[in-house]
Amino acid sequence: MLKVENVVKYYGDFLAVDDLSFAVERGEIFGLLGVNGSGKTTTFRMIMGLLDYQAGDITLDGRKIDYSVTDKIGFLTEERSLLTKLTVEQQCIFYGVLKGMSEKKIRERAPMLLKKFGIAEYWQRPIKELSKGNQQKIQFITAILNDPELLILDEPFAGLDPLNVEIFKKEILEMASRGCMIIFSTHRMEHVELFCKKIVVIQDGREVLGGEIAKIKENYGLKNVFVNGENIKKKDLETIDGVVSVTKNGDDWEVKIKDISYLDNVFASIKDQRIYKFLLQQPTLNEIFVAKVGEKYGE
Amino acid sequence: MANKLKFLIMVSLNRKIKTKWFVIVNVLLLFLIVAIANIDTIITFFGGDFDRKEQIYVVDKTDSSYDVFAEQLAVVEKSILGRDESSFAVNLVTEEEYETFDYEEIIEEEPSSIIIYLEPSDNVMDAKLITEVYLGTIPQQIILTSLNETRSIIALLETEIDEEELAKITTPIAVERIILDEEKDSDEEMQAAIMSTVFPFIILPFFMLTIFLVQMIGAEVNDEKSSRGMEIIISSVPPKIHFFAKIIAGNLFVIIQGLLLFLFGVIALFSRQLTPSAGITDGISAEINNILKMVLDSDLGSQLMYIIPLTLILMLLTFLAYALLAGILASMTTNIEDFQQLQTPIVIILVIGYYLAIMAGVFTGATFIRVLSFFPLISAILSPSLLVLEQIGVVEVLFSILLMIIFNFLLIKYGLKIYKVGILNYSTTGLWQKMFKALRS
Repeated sequence: MLKVENVVKYYGDFLAVDDLSFAVERGEIFGLLGVNGSGKTTTFRMIMGLLDYQAGDITLDGRKIDYSVTDKIGFLTEERSLLTKLTVEQQCIFYGVLKGMSEKKIRERAPMLLKKFGIAEYWQRPIKELSKGNQQKIQFITAILNDPELLILDEPFAGLDPLNVEIFKKEILEMASRGCMIIFSTHRMEHVELFCKKIVVIQDGREVLGGEIAKIKENYGLKNVFVNGENIKKKDLETIDGVVSVTKNGDDWEVKIKDISYLDNVFASIKDQRIYKFLLQQPTLNEIFVAKVGEKYGE
Repeated sequence: MANKLKFLIMVSLNRKIKTKWFVIVNVLLLFLIVAIANIDTIITFFGGDFDRKEQIYVVDKTDSSYDVFAEQLAVVEKSILGRDESSFAVNLVTEEEYETFDYEEIIEEEPSSIIIYLEPSDNVMDAKLITEVYLGTIPQQIILTSLNETRSIIALLETEIDEEELAKITTPIAVERIILDEEKDSDEEMQAAIMSTVFPFIILPFFMLTIFLVQMIGAEVNDEKSSRGMEIIISSVPPKIHFFAKIIAGNLFVIIQGLLLFLFGVIALFSRQLTPSAGITDGISAEINNILKMVLDSDLGSQLMYIIPLTLILMLLTFLAYALLAGILASMTTNIEDFQQLQTPIVIILVIGYYLAIMAGVFTGATFIRVLSFFPLISAILSPSLLVLEQIGVVEVLFSILLMIIFNFLLIKYGLKIYKVGILNYSTTGLWQKMFKALRS
């Protein structure tokens, strides 16, 4: 298990991470979310042992993370970390050996992964000649080459088309099913909802939201009711007690209510009309994220 | 971790050596070095009128100076150029020819002709020197010296000095060279003088290799840093291992390149023995051969026995120091352009050392140069030069080596602290504060 406990990190006088705590179990995919500059990359760097911290503790299976355990970790950085003058083969061997693998093992595993990602023919090609998407695949392959016990993915889907996102998702879920701990950062909330059971949202280095996604949604309060029917007017919906906002969403009216207790009010006000749709939905993670992190996310 | 260090060294070294450009550059270097060593043969191969002599026409209106001038011209030319065969053909314009002699016509026919009028005057003799264009420095020096000598001899003859006395005066003075230091002799003095000219050329490859080393380490560190590959690398191996891998690989590369340059030099010398040299460059050729013979001569062998190992030790320690410095500076920069700015002072320090080594032969015994010969970054150039010139002894060179070792130790001790912080720093703001903070940590 990866444990981050009450970690504090200062850059000079600037507080980058403030008393951050979370834990990731084996086989779990964990979302570390936040706007740009919120402290995600600093947290990843501390986990990787690249940065010291002033207080707290970070452990992997009870051991402090140092160079004796980093061979068990895979790391995909947000920005390209490939040495583009190298060929795919040279790059895989370079990062693989640094992760403690033998060249023989790398030559067995890397082509297999390349095949899985549909780029087997690029084994001998210089990285600089590959497209942005294919470079991202190579970067991902080098991160998982050592079959890590802990995988850190900072914006893994950047530059990928939907088809390739699917290939990545499949591999990430497969790794989790094999017991790999995965920490994952992205701005795409639909990916977080799809993968993660637990998340932490940080802002200015401090946790503003954390826990299991289902519970977060349950506790969030605001609910969405999708309504469709004849003679249902916006102004009528807006006057209902407990309704926060009404917006058109396709053919439906999306009615936000303060909490579940106001659901009956909405139904009572339209029950005499011909109703085609009356659907209660949990808020999306994106809504919760925007509500918690505020205007900064939109900037 | 030792395996990872070894792997990083090999990767770094292979990136420099296992490239087509390394092969191409070294093939070019081989051709260029062989070509430079045989430049006289190449010049003569492409042809030219090298046997042609400069025509000097002497219009002697003093009626008595021509023979003396012709004799002095031969003597002076030999003393300056050190060869028996004259490059001048001296023609006397006789008294009968005065009226019909038209120098403009001569020069029009043969533009390189030199016309000299010798005319009687109150100062015994005056001369007029006419050419179409500028005369070269050496021919001019030979002719003017010969004219002065001619006038002196004529003046002495006019005093009715007998021939025996005149011979005594004009014969070059016999100088017996006595050096009180029993360990030194006049041959060594000559060798030292020659070495002071030759040595800067011997250390030129060291100068070039140091520049290569600094640029290579800077480029490699910046390449990994700017691609953020550095984060992956440093998350797998400690910065210390990464730092040493770069330094060791860089030093191995310059040693390999240095050995190749030495090999090319040997091939060039060998090729020189195989090619005939002739024509106008005979003198140059003979001088190069003489110098090479002198350097390789067994008399110098005893000195070279300790000069070469001491120089090599100093050079290796200096390569290490420059590599450490380049690694530290590269870690502080965020792109190769910034590093190129930072490496300028390093190059200037090297250039200062190189010029001081050349000037050491001129400013014999200069305290300033002697003190600077201990300065770590230039001692590899300066100390051996002063040792060759016998301005310092082996003890001073050993002291320079000791200083280099201390300097490298300090660079490793404090440089590593900067490297650890700098290598993952991508911001240029507050850079120096970060570095000083790292030093204090």
